[in-house]
Amino acid sequence: MRQCEVLVIGGGPAGLSAAIEAAKAGAQVVVVETNREVGGQLVKQTHKFFGSSRHRAGTRGIDIAKILRKQCEDLHVELKVNSLVMGIYADNVVAIDEKKSLTEHNIERIQAKKIVISTGASENSIRFPGWTLPGVMGAGAIQTMCNYHRVIPGRKLLMIGSGSVGLIVCYQLMQAGAEIVGIVEALPHINGYAVHASKLTREGIPIYTGYTIKEARGKERVEQAVIAKVNPDWSTVPGSEIVLDTDIVAVGAGLKPLIGMAHMSGCEFVYDKALGGWAPCHNKNMESTHKGIYVAGDTTGLEEASTAIEEGTISGIAIAESLGYIPKDKAKTLKDEGWERLAGLRSGFKGEDRVKAKMKQLNRYDEVMKGGK
Amino acid sequence: MTNKSYDVVVIGAGVMGTSCAYHLVKKGFKVALIEKIDIARGTSSHCDAVALIVDKMPGVDAALGYASIQRFLELKNELSYDFELHQKGSMYACETDQEMDIASKYAKSMQDDGYDIDILNPKELLEHEPFMAKDLKGGIFSKACCGLNPFKLCFAFVDQVKGKGLDVYSYTDVKGIKLNDKNAVEGVETDKGFLSTKKVVNCAGVWSPEIGKMVGVDIPVKPRKGVILVSATSFPFCNQKVQEFGYMVSKFAEFKCKRDPDVEKYNVAFTIEPSKANNVLIGSSRNFAGYGVNTEIEIIHAIAKRAIRFYPILKEMNCIRSYAGVRPFLDAHLPLITDVDKVPGYYIATGHEGDGISLSPMTGRLISELIAGEKPYLDLAPFSYNRSKKNN
Repeated sequence: MRQCEVLVIGGGPAGLSAAIEAAKAGAQVVVVETNREVGGQLVKQTHKFFGSSRHRAGTRGIDIAKILRKQCEDLHVELKVNSLVMGIYADNVVAIDEKKSLTEHNIERIQAKKIVISTGASENSIRFPGWTLPGVMGAGAIQTMCNYHRVIPGRKLLMIGSGSVGLIVCYQLMQAGAEIVGIVEALPHINGYAVHASKLTREGIPIYTGYTIKEARGKERVEQAVIAKVNPDWSTVPGSEIVLDTDIVAVGAGLKPLIGMAHMSGCEFVYDKALGGWAPCHNKNMESTHKGIYVAGDTTGLEEASTAIEEGTISGIAIAESLGYIPKDKAKTLKDEGWERLAGLRSGFKGEDRVKAKMKQLNRYDEVMKGGK
Repeated sequence: MTNKSYDVVVIGAGVMGTSCAYHLVKKGFKVALIEKIDIARGTSSHCDAVALIVDKMPGVDAALGYASIQRFLELKNELSYDFELHQKGSMYACETDQEMDIASKYAKSMQDDGYDIDILNPKELLEHEPFMAKDLKGGIFSKACCGLNPFKLCFAFVDQVKGKGLDVYSYTDVKGIKLNDKNAVEGVETDKGFLSTKKVVNCAGVWSPEIGKMVGVDIPVKPRKGVILVSATSFPFCNQKVQEFGYMVSKFAEFKCKRDPDVEKYNVAFTIEPSKANNVLIGSSRNFAGYGVNTEIEIIHAIAKRAIRFYPILKEMNCIRSYAGVRPFLDAHLPLITDVDKVPGYYIATGHEGDGISLSPMTGRLISELIAGEKPYLDLAPFSYNRSKKNN
């Protein structure tokens, strides 16, 4: 069986950053990516990043993906694309299903000294009559179609959810030529960044706060959506229905960590709403309760690309340290700097909840490792 | 739950426990069902789902299997919750002439005992299953065999009598069994309190030795792991439960046959069954690996390889999931459905290995007859705790 030092599952910002740090220190790294190129969600993020220059503010996500990929290539990180990890088995054996063509698959097993799980997140769905009609789609999926595959899935779009993803996707779809018939938000206020929302309201796009989707209607696919006011108990107010003509109902109902791989490895989890639900806990090296398996990025709690990059970086340093490529004191300095930058990133929008949730994960790790239940 | 009193306490809410509980309530007993996790959370939800006659040895094994199928057909009307029973039959396919020879002899001896089993030539086999490999040597078929949903079966048993004579205590640990000075059952100690009762049924499956130890009864059950693969949905290319005759070889040591070395190591034999949603479940392996239900990639490979041998079309399909369960194995290949002389009031229903779902209806019925002091539907001697030790 093939052996490697570091195997990274998921080539998004967290995974690539982990790979770069470990490879920079001298480790041999393989990144396994299920899509046809690495970059994760960055490959469709045509907007510019906020924040500090350290976190590449002003650079577009798609360009950050290119920079990370170039760094990996320069460091001879092996990027295995079109490759799906089937599972992590006993003794750190990872089974990989590499798609050679539509029907041709090559299944390979690699035994790794260290594994990084950086599988990101998946979109939440919500259920309402008609939710399985063609035309009801995840907001993130629409963004991938539009910005990456250059296909607009419909002409008239209704967005459910006013989180940042929903707002950005609406703006980008509008730029691509689609009509946004409205944004529906069950909360009494807009959920995402105000800067994104105001771009849309300036264009006259209605944002229905305190509303929810009641039904998607259509014969073969979505033709209409019915929205209605919500009561505090989430029931709808009779008579408040509005019928909108639309061919796309985009569901921007948030995301949750993709934890299958961590679960399969027997890692311990913590639930926190602020991080999107259940996520594996870890120590300050980003190592999970399963020794030798590290977690970084949205997998271990839903945040942003910048935090994913920092978590990945810390895990890469810790791995290089444990493999003997970086001396302990130097590693400590580098990791401390990483944690400081993370603290900075978590000081912003809704940061306090995330800081608390992350603290819960670190505490849970200590508890488990001390043998607590 | 302090100091409640029951006629019978059943330990373990898998298919055995739920069936026993149901049949006991039907006899008029007041029953408690204690489960350390929840209904169907162990072996009964990590299995496939058939009631077969063509995988039983002639004699008591077949008699119990056949009676269970008849009981399933009654239960379909008796239980209000639909457990998706369907009687489509089941087939064994033979890969070699030697296997076909053994299979024909087996089928004839089953026919002699009055069971409806057909011997299929290669052409007839392909009429049954057009997508099977063209070079197979034939097979045997019984139309009596059934498929069902094992989760729903457990819930159907409970649902029918819960609150009408049955109390379910899930997430409850059994801490001990209290005996009186005559060594007879007095009650069950749990982490939630004491239940007084004169009768306890140990239906804890692979965990039954632990419950046996509490009263000094040795139950030689060992956990034997089986891995199952799930395919993506497709058109219905497989019409019924199909198994390779080598499955019989892997199940019973009596059949000696040359086997593929790749599959020998994990005792892999091909089985396939279509699900209601047009996935297929593909099995299976049998190995002793403790209580863990992790799947091993080597076993998954061996099972897939075997499956493609019998249904070449599977090469074009994706496997979406794999899972494993641990089955209560006994060397005797016959379950224990029994009382225990030295501990009056203590009963055991376990050791069905991969036949638990299949044999659950009759097991529950026999235990209820035994406890009610009625003459059991079948002679229980072969399933008795006192059968010779070497048979256990």
